[in-house]
Amino acid sequence: MVNKVTVKDLVCYYGNKCVLNLLNIQIMKNEILNIIGPANSGKTTFLRTLNRMNEYNLLYSYDGKIYLDGKNIFTMKVEQLRRRISMLFAMPTPFPMSIYDNIVYAPKHLKLIKSKAEQNIIVERVLKDVSLWDEVKDRLNWPAMKISGGQQQRLCIARVLAINPEVILFDEPCSGLDPISTAKVEQTMLRLKQKYTIVFVTNNVKQAFRIGDRTAFFFMGELIEINNTKQLFHSPNNKKTADYITGRFG
Amino acid sequence: MKINPKLSQQLSYCILFLVTICAITPVVFIFFLIIKNGVPNLTIKFLTSMTKDGGIFPAIIGTFTIVVCSIIIVFPVGVFAAIYLNEYAKRNLLTRLIKLAIVNLAGIPSVVYGLFGLSIFVMFCKLGVSIISGALTLSIMELPVIITTARNALNNVPYSFREASLALGMSRWQTVKYIVLPNAMPGILTGTILSIARISGETAPILFTAAAFYVPHLPHSIFDQVMTLPYHLYITSTQVPCVSKTILFGTALTLLIIVLTISLFAIIARLYFRRHRKW
Ligand SMILES: Nc1ncnc2c1ncn2[C@@H]1O[C@H](COP(=O)(O)OP(=O)(O)OP(=O)(O)O)[C@@H](O)[C@H]1O
Ligand SMILES: [Mg+2]
Repeated sequence: MVNKVTVKDLVCYYGNKCVLNLLNIQIMKNEILNIIGPANSGKTTFLRTLNRMNEYNLLYSYDGKIYLDGKNIFTMKVEQLRRRISMLFAMPTPFPMSIYDNIVYAPKHLKLIKSKAEQNIIVERVLKDVSLWDEVKDRLNWPAMKISGGQQQRLCIARVLAINPEVILFDEPCSGLDPISTAKVEQTMLRLKQKYTIVFVTNNVKQAFRIGDRTAFFFMGELIEINNTKQLFHSPNNKKTADYITGRFG
Repeated sequence: MKINPKLSQQLSYCILFLVTICAITPVVFIFFLIIKNGVPNLTIKFLTSMTKDGGIFPAIIGTFTIVVCSIIIVFPVGVFAAIYLNEYAKRNLLTRLIKLAIVNLAGIPSVVYGLFGLSIFVMFCKLGVSIISGALTLSIMELPVIITTARNALNNVPYSFREASLALGMSRWQTVKYIVLPNAMPGILTGTILSIARISGETAPILFTAAAFYVPHLPHSIFDQVMTLPYHLYITSTQVPCVSKTILFGTALTLLIIVLTISLFAIIARLYFRRHRKW
């Protein structure tokens, strides 16, 4: 197992309020790392620190080190970092453009693709990766906002795949979806594991059990426990973890 | 006392309908009056001959150039200022003061802008009474309005679009250019259309800065003074004895048509951006 991301002594604040306290985590290449924990435990803050999305929030401050392949992410060019560590949000966020344009938007402007033919190939490939191709191949110039919520979320995943990142952060990507769409997104994630490293925040304990190789349990800004998903669920070391996964609070 | 809900529903519907009618009646009436009295006078000769031959050609050219010049100045400056304030400026005291100042500037009477333009552009910058002085004065007057409408339009673009774009490795400027601005453009242009109408009709700001009572020739450059339609209308209706009504209404109708023509460009641009936005 190769180390992809290393987080060392990370502390995050909003104003004076400490929301992540001395976090140490290693994320392995090609794994799905679950992050579970009750509301306000700092899961979203952790993801948004990994690709520096909180940078424009004046309340936010951090301390500690994060390395991507051994390089400090805080000294990288932020656009470069976000191309390598991209992010998916809880609500689908398609742009008000066609399905096709949504996918080629970033690669085109980042000059990752040159010809129209290349664009077509990428659109087909990423839509197949999220198993959306068969559903939309006849209407690629439809407004992306007119397809269903589940399809929109998979389109957003496809849009991320089109820039070919190394790590993808999923922040509760299924929270607004029905069970069938949820299952499709889950299958997609399992398939993506072969090529990408995935950090998966979820509020759904069962879903975490189904998906992740390892699971980290956050509570009130602290990493309480991190272990293989099976082990963590069958024999948690910490009482809080046990309480949370058996649904006694959260 | 209890009112039957169905009755009260119908009552409020009636009241709202009547109020709407009251609101649009004067507008319709004005349009009707101007068109009815103006059209007979709208001959080629009236539109294209010089003032001494009874035409308003110099005033048409004057109004047209002043309005186009000031839109060319105020539109980019206003939009970029709005982008800066909304997308880049840190939320500190200075930014708050600037925003407050802009809101208040929009409430200043236009004649004050006229005096300001006279002292700054005409006298201090030595631009003289000229098209450029008038255009600059009108720009300054309209700047707060454009900034405010542009900021509203930018604010209406959901924050999630920006975040989604940034998360794909796009820079902030790319996000503004490709996502935020195209989606805000219809709103910005609606504001611009209203501004064009306001700029075209103003007399006070150009009274001391650009407009002349009478110029025997057409302007040679933007440093010449010109006749303008609103001022010409004011002069002919108040200062010149026994001018026929039809000439006045002809001038007013011409002004309306010019406003519509210039606005048409903005309307077409707005259509273009609406088409390209796929909600
Ligand atoms: N933009 C912000 N400004 C100030 N405080 C914030 C901000 N975002 C989050 N917080 C605070 O930081 C703490 C952690 O929030 P965070 O969103 O990381 O939790 P979470 O684990 O993702 O919760 P949830 O499961 O509800 O999504 C919370 O107490 C929250 O109130
Ligand atoms: Mg969250």
